[in-house]
Amino acid sequence: MLQRLSLTGLSQRARDYRSRTEDGAIALHVLVAGWIAVGFALFFVGSAWTILPLVGFLTTTAYGWARYQAETAKGLTFLTTVATVGVLALIIAFLLLRTLPVFQQMGLDLFFRTESPPRLWGGDGGTVWSLTPMMVGTALTTVIATIVAAPLGVAGAIFVSELAPPRVRELVKPGIELMAGIPSITYGFIGLTIVNQYLYAEFNTPTIGNYFGAGLMVGIMALPTIVTVAEDALSTVPESMKSGSLAMGSTEWQTTKSVTIPAALSGISAAILLGVGRAMGETMAATVMLSHTKGFPSPIFDVFAGYGETLTTVIAFEGGNASGLHMSALFAGGVVLFVMVMFLSVSSQFVEWRMRQKLRGER
Amino acid sequence: MSTVRDTALHSGDSTTSELIANVVLAVSFAGFVVSWGVLFQWIDEATTVAGATVLILLGVALLVAAVGLVVVGVASRLDRLDTTPSPTAGFTVGAVFGVLWSVLGALLATTLLGAGTVLWVPAAVAFGAAGSLAATLTREDIGSTIPVAVVLALLGGAIVLGQIDAAWVWAPAWSSASFPGSELIPAVVIAGSLLAAWSGAKAKAGFGAQGRQAGAFALIGTVVFGMLAVLGLLIGFIVVNGLETMLTGASLLGGQLTIPVVGVTIPWPAFPFATNVTGGLFVEVPGVLPATIGTLWLVFGAVVFAVPLGVGAAVFLTEYAEHGRFTQVVEVATNGLWSTPSIVFGLFGLAFLVPRISGGNSILVGQLVLGFMLLPLVLITSREAVLAVPDEYRDASAALGVTKWQTIRSVVVPAAMPGTITGVILGVGRIAGETAPLLLVFGGPPYPSNTPNVLGSFALTPNPPFVTNEALLSPASALPYQLYSTITAGVFPKEIFTNQQFGWGTALVLLLVVIGLYAVGVGSRLYFRRKLHHE
Repeated sequence: MLQRLSLTGLSQRARDYRSRTEDGAIALHVLVAGWIAVGFALFFVGSAWTILPLVGFLTTTAYGWARYQAETAKGLTFLTTVATVGVLALIIAFLLLRTLPVFQQMGLDLFFRTESPPRLWGGDGGTVWSLTPMMVGTALTTVIATIVAAPLGVAGAIFVSELAPPRVRELVKPGIELMAGIPSITYGFIGLTIVNQYLYAEFNTPTIGNYFGAGLMVGIMALPTIVTVAEDALSTVPESMKSGSLAMGSTEWQTTKSVTIPAALSGISAAILLGVGRAMGETMAATVMLSHTKGFPSPIFDVFAGYGETLTTVIAFEGGNASGLHMSALFAGGVVLFVMVMFLSVSSQFVEWRMRQKLRGER
Repeated sequence: MSTVRDTALHSGDSTTSELIANVVLAVSFAGFVVSWGVLFQWIDEATTVAGATVLILLGVALLVAAVGLVVVGVASRLDRLDTTPSPTAGFTVGAVFGVLWSVLGALLATTLLGAGTVLWVPAAVAFGAAGSLAATLTREDIGSTIPVAVVLALLGGAIVLGQIDAAWVWAPAWSSASFPGSELIPAVVIAGSLLAAWSGAKAKAGFGAQGRQAGAFALIGTVVFGMLAVLGLLIGFIVVNGLETMLTGASLLGGQLTIPVVGVTIPWPAFPFATNVTGGLFVEVPGVLPATIGTLWLVFGAVVFAVPLGVGAAVFLTEYAEHGRFTQVVEVATNGLWSTPSIVFGLFGLAFLVPRISGGNSILVGQLVLGFMLLPLVLITSREAVLAVPDEYRDASAALGVTKWQTIRSVVVPAAMPGTITGVILGVGRIAGETAPLLLVFGGPPYPSNTPNVLGSFALTPNPPFVTNEALLSPASALPYQLYSTITAGVFPKEIFTNQQFGWGTALVLLLVVIGLYAVGVGSRLYFRRKLHHE
């Protein structure tokens, strides 16, 4: 039933397109689509002849631009939109495709194997690959980063959007944005030369580099994301709601605490989710700071232990010279990361969408 | 928020309470700052002032704050001060004190009765209950000062009496690290001074709604101040450490510039760190020129690839597409791309692009991968810019009989240009510092001795694809990649720098490039905004 509906919708749309577009322009669209399809197919099989459909596409478009500019432009913008979706689809497809061999070899052990370190990664003559220690590492650094970033970030957002006098805000906001712009490798370098050495010298950590230091640095890096998104959420709360509360004689803090924050709560949680996603996907700082030894700390929350490897760091550190099952296992790590971050991103979008609906309803 | 400000109606005699509260605030602020100084080892913990070490003084500061809070709280309870306390400090405060006191109870039990006893559990529960009840059941002026004062007094007393000193070590069984008193004391004092500041700010404003506001503002203000301090520290570290390396051999008129056609040589600023190659035999001062050129090529390629795609898609989504399933899919895909970890882009480039384009690391693949990363940013910002173009513009254009495409081309896109340009610049600032995907698809030798000659390497071949570019298909270096390979490589090939020195210099150049781009982006945003408001 549903399928038939969408089919009739499609054919209706096709008829509209047919009647509104000139025959020449239709031919042009078909030709361009053909060039793209052939070009992509040739590129996919790795042929050097990809150049021919590319030239064909360019000449056809150039002709179309001169002859049917409006239709060509519409077609091209449509093509760019499809390309954007296509990139994501290709990423997903290739990650899954390359993960398949190691998944066939390991099964669910890929994610849940908890044996002692030598039989986790590359053991038994390169036939055993398990991501469990890296998943634990990612979880540990992410938790530490969230503990650092979430309260500070929310406090910063409240400050910027509610408390700061305009002049201070003009100073603080670009400062926080600038913090987001500092390259992650720079954070990593500072972490490596200062934080790691400090922890090693003062707290007698068994190795230079541990989950605590990396989590701390990653948390600082996730901070600006949380501040910016949470601040956006706080400033979408309608001014009328705040003014109403202030008019009732409550103080600014009472208004913020009892009106603004509850109204923006879903937006704030979306910000934290995004920040967690950032922390999880953060690569360079952790790669430089961690010791790249794989294993399970005991107890599991011993963040100062001599182990240090996360999903991102193992890919960055070993991706350059891996092959076969090893490479496939790294791709599996990419899949786990991608799925987790995608899940966080989609749920934060959903939460934000809910908030907008709610505020719209109450206005 | 709003321009409504309260006027001080309650102008009774509150100088005494304010004075004491000010003392508490000043002492806790001093303790806060000095503790960070000790923690960062700018102040040596063995420094003695007036016969007492800094750590003892920090303990004294806690004690002073505790006494001050007790005086203010009790005096207010006895109605000697002009305050307006609420009947209770509130549930949140009670919960926080419950947690705080139970931690204190557990620590006391384990230190007094020895570790390993199970007695810490009942002690923690009892202390937690006492703390939260003391905070909630009493009037606010007592409930939000005395529990704080007790915590501060206990900690301060332990420090002053030498129960915890610099040599004392806390080595919990669950942790591989051990925590010496020299670091633990400042950390404890930081937490304590935050508590004291909160309580003192409340007391200063006379408790009640005003007091809670003052307390919250004090806490949040300190946190934001701390965040900005971290930012300042980060940039400060890089500048201080990198400046010497970056300016090695630099002079205002030490270099020479030969004017091409005339052949005359004139003095010219010399800046070897920026103009020299990194490796090679004859380099006196190794520089980051190959990395800088590599970064420029990367950014250029990514922009050429991503901007048309992103702007085109933004135009299609806002002008042509009807809101429906398709636009939703595109939105989810864009946000998904935006949040995809950079290393995953690298993996994708490695699996899909590398074998099909160059068979190894190359500039072209790096450009494409960074372009993929830039794409969602460009799409999101330019879509916002196109959406922000007022509908009157489109209507006015349509009313003149102009076709839809003409309207888009001559009205919508130009009006959306400022926002797009700003978004692109900010996005470029971001990808210029991106390293992770470059490790997988781009990076070449750690100390390149020549710059990529992309423009001069185009060549025609008789076989498909007929046009090749050797330089574009070979690996190179970029500033963030250079920093990474300098950190991870063993010994620096030249004696003039160590790895770390060269790394700091590279980090400073990278930071300057990124901040420069960022400043241009923000500047253009301000410029266009001002222009819009004038019209």
